[in-house]
Amino acid sequence: MNSIVVKDLHKTYAGALVPSLQGLSFAFEEGRMVGLLGPNGAGKTTTISILCGLVKAGSGHVQIFDLPQDAAHREAIKRAIGVVPQQIALFPQLTALENLRYFGNLYGFKGKPLLQKIHHYLELFGLEKAASKEVGRFSGGMKRRANIIAAILHSPRLLVLDEPTAGVDVQSRSMILQFLRDYNRQGNSVLYTSHLLEEAQQLCEDVVIIDEGKMVVQGSPAALIQQHPHSRNLEDVFLHYTGHAVRD
Amino acid sequence: MLRLIATIRKEWLLLLRDRAGLALLFAMPVVLITVMALIQDAPFKDYQEIKFDILTVDNDQGRLGRYIREGLGQSGQFNVIDSLGQQPLTAAQAQQLVAEGEYKISITIPKGATGEIVSNANKIVNDISKRMGMAAQLPVKAAAADSLAVQLYFDPAAKKAFKSAIQQALDNFLTQVQTDLLLERIQLQLRKRDSTTASDTFPAIKLKAVGLQETSIGAGKQIDVISNSVQHNVPAWSIFAMFFIVIPIAGNMIREREDGSLVRMKLIPGNYGDILGGKLLFFVGVCVVQFYLMMLIGIYGMPLLGLPRLQMGVDHLAGFITAFSIGVTATAYGILVGTVFKTPNQALNFGAISVVILSAIGGIWIPLEVMPEKIQAVGRLSPLSWGLDAINDIYLRNGHTRYILPDIARLLSCGLIMLGIAAWVEQRRTG
Repeated sequence: MNSIVVKDLHKTYAGALVPSLQGLSFAFEEGRMVGLLGPNGAGKTTTISILCGLVKAGSGHVQIFDLPQDAAHREAIKRAIGVVPQQIALFPQLTALENLRYFGNLYGFKGKPLLQKIHHYLELFGLEKAASKEVGRFSGGMKRRANIIAAILHSPRLLVLDEPTAGVDVQSRSMILQFLRDYNRQGNSVLYTSHLLEEAQQLCEDVVIIDEGKMVVQGSPAALIQQHPHSRNLEDVFLHYTGHAVRD
Repeated sequence: MLRLIATIRKEWLLLLRDRAGLALLFAMPVVLITVMALIQDAPFKDYQEIKFDILTVDNDQGRLGRYIREGLGQSGQFNVIDSLGQQPLTAAQAQQLVAEGEYKISITIPKGATGEIVSNANKIVNDISKRMGMAAQLPVKAAAADSLAVQLYFDPAAKKAFKSAIQQALDNFLTQVQTDLLLERIQLQLRKRDSTTASDTFPAIKLKAVGLQETSIGAGKQIDVISNSVQHNVPAWSIFAMFFIVIPIAGNMIREREDGSLVRMKLIPGNYGDILGGKLLFFVGVCVVQFYLMMLIGIYGMPLLGLPRLQMGVDHLAGFITAFSIGVTATAYGILVGTVFKTPNQALNFGAISVVILSAIGGIWIPLEVMPEKIQAVGRLSPLSWGLDAINDIYLRNGHTRYILPDIARLLSCGLIMLGIAAWVEQRRTG
């Protein structure tokens, strides 16, 4: 079964001169760890927003675990997906425990089982001592880790992360990447976006490089590097496909 | 239900940690209603409770002067001052004191005023007697070159309504004296005609067959609730403060959108309406608590400042329904502003200014009835005026739930329409 199937996806935001997506297509199997890469404005965040049902596609087709992303299947898809947005989508005035308890309640979890789950993840992410601290007073790395916990409370089969390691220190990044590997090893699918190509090269089994709203290439980092003899790493492959021009 | 309760709990925690928001919702309104009730106490008392000093110069020393002095004194609204430092007041002194603004009004009763009235009454009686074939003639003065008049001097700063009230009262006294004297003369003439009837058994002529009596039209037990500064300002500014909840709600919603927590909430399976419902219920609850806190200040705090105690009518359920409905409309307005505007600055400025405008035209600052007709027509479209109207029906007119139903229907419909618009805007935004 495929985790995600995207076919000929188009999207132009109201008032925008340039379309964000222009026939994007890609797919990957369940249980894979995939990197969605692209320069600024390539359409990564729009793609993720459409996958999660936050934004409606102009045209095209999206399937998550064989379920079409439409009104009839939106709830089932939401249960299957965990999303870690680029922003720290937590209430800064609430403590980590209060935030996670609230989002756990929204998922329908309550009482002791929920608290046990929260404490398990807080411990796993090294936040157990900061459980009663307001999230607004967390360091950047702590916020990123808490942001991930809020997305996995319902144990999703597909975890979608939008630049989960942006602006974090080495220790936090290492912890986050280790968690993603472990989560993937448990049979879960992971789709993540990043500008850190070295990180993507180490972490992902497959990468999808997109630019100007279209897929440029898809494959394993090793295979892509091999296909281009002058490329030493994924960054060279990336620059080969997307060019050296600065994007705004 | 779990999502709803969790959202109420979350909003409670957020509010508890927002000290500025708490101050805006609870401390500021307490200060506001206290200051406004104190400031507007004097204007409200103008024609009700304040006693004005009124300078009276009685050059007549007859019945007219006595009637005017007694009448003004008995009305309870005036202190009649007819002497300064044991010396009788002169007309020149009185005019000077009013001109200097020391006193608001002076009355000078001209010399011979009573005599003039008696002569006029005699003239009327003589005329009637003559027509009835009676001979007895009462003495009549020769016609004066100028007619006499009671002279009034007002402080130039005196309000038009105040001047008109005084003029009306004095006109009443003059009419009363003239009528009394006329009836007395008629009685005297009748006695002369029927000299066999003992004067003490002669029936008195009574002119006032029908009088006036004020009764309460409210259905409850309470009577004579007068609109005073507390009765107007406490509910009015409480409604204003309830609508100011638009600021924390709009700020809260825009923050949720900016920090991404709104996105997270929407990514979680389940109806977003539960979350919005929890938010709505919580803030409606805050509004109701806010309202009753202000009412407690009106009942227990205002008398400590020498102001009247707030009267809350007889139907407390109607009062609660009104507070709840105002809360729903105010919260829905906050949700609409928080949805439509993209930045806190836009929302907060628009929210605050729009509430001030809606309150000004809605009769919160000054009663709607004293505004120009066109403004009144516009003001009646303000949800704040519907709320205040319902509260006045309950507190001043002792109304029950059925009296306030039209206003409640308007408030709740307005709230539902605003929530509908907010949902439509949000839906368009995700499209």
